[in-house]
Amino acid sequence: MIEFTSHSTEETEQFAQRFAAQLKPGDIIACVGGMGMGKTAFARGLAQGLGLGDDVSSPTFALVHEYTQGSLPLYHFDMYRVNSFDELYSTGFFDYLELGGVLLIEWSENISGALPPNTITLTIQRVDNHTRHITIEGERF
Amino acid sequence: MKLLSIDTSSQSASCAISEDGKLLGEFFTNVNLTHSQTILPMVHDLLEHTRTTLSQMDGFAVTTGPGSFTGLRIGLSAVKGMAHALGKPCVGVSTLETMAYHFQGQRCLVAPVLDARCAQVYTALFRWEGNTITRLAEDQAIPIQQLGESLKNVKETVFLVGDGADLCYNSLNEQLPCLALAPSFLRYTRASVLAAAAQTAFSLGNTVSAQDLIPAYLRLPQAQRELLAKQK
Ligand SMILES: Nc1ncnc2c1ncn2[C@@H]1O[C@H](COP(=O)(O)OP(=O)(O)OP(=O)(O)O)[C@@H](O)[C@H]1O
Ligand SMILES: [Mg+2]
Repeated sequence: MIEFTSHSTEETEQFAQRFAAQLKPGDIIACVGGMGMGKTAFARGLAQGLGLGDDVSSPTFALVHEYTQGSLPLYHFDMYRVNSFDELYSTGFFDYLELGGVLLIEWSENISGALPPNTITLTIQRVDNHTRHITIEGERF
Repeated sequence: MKLLSIDTSSQSASCAISEDGKLLGEFFTNVNLTHSQTILPMVHDLLEHTRTTLSQMDGFAVTTGPGSFTGLRIGLSAVKGMAHALGKPCVGVSTLETMAYHFQGQRCLVAPVLDARCAQVYTALFRWEGNTITRLAEDQAIPIQQLGESLKNVKETVFLVGDGADLCYNSLNEQLPCLALAPSFLRYTRASVLAAAAQTAFSLGNTVSAQDLIPAYLRLPQAQRELLAKQK
């Protein structure tokens, strides 16, 4: 288990950027937390760490954003609006599992029954306005 | 007549060119690449190596599902694009029926199974008697255990084909001694087999225009509560 206390958005991004070095093809990161916790901030850091730029925003409407210009691509999902297996299927989620990139899933709570057993869990808890407690759990962590 | 057949409905991708039932060439890959990037170059190379041109094709065949959401859209849009531009007829064949065609000429039962994830499969049931195929069950999406239930009174051998064959065999073979695994080289959808399945429809004139080709997505049975359920 990895634990980290972040005192600002920048610190969250920098932490994610360093964490990116430990990721492997096929890794799935399921984010747990509430609204405005910093999941997208974490995703931005991750993309930077993977050499994919920093133009990262919440894929709430597109459901998935693809960052594929590096050696390890990042597929960034937002499951906030996903309510059924059929909807999950039509995000292409099951196809992305096969692509050998890294999947980061915001609002993974909505699809927890469909997450593969080796999924990495990222929990972000709010301590106060600027402070977040970040926990990463998974077989390798 | 010359036929170009395309399958990108699951993990593998393939295209085949056939003429009056004879296979002229086939290109098959099974390497988890994005089909959107590979299928058209494959078609291009296949045309070159078979010394044919796209405009010589008299028709197009495609697997319409069930299968991967993205894969089905890639295959269908590729075929729609080519058939529409050339004004040629199309035939869409169920992915499951296509896989059953691996056993044409035999006397046996075939249950194609595609992994729909989360212990669910897309499946159907067919009987082959020589060159006559009879469909015994519609294409459906069901939990693996329900497939087991539906086959429990079957006394003959049932061959499993498709990317879910291993999964179903391993979870059901103790309760269902009738199950047999198709050999791995018959396990995947092949455009050459699709061509064979589509041939009959073409000779009967059962074709559709490019715009009438539609994917056959099947409703996944699992309820929302199972989607939300924590696995641990
Ligand atoms: N330590 C911190 N780490 C990350 N974000 C922080 C931190 N402190 C404050 N914030 C603020 O919290 C918000 C996090 O927004 P972000 O879009 O990353 O959250 P989210 O979890 O993706 O939200 P949503 O559920 O709406 O997608 C931003 O406004 C950010 O400035
Ligand atoms: Mg977000």
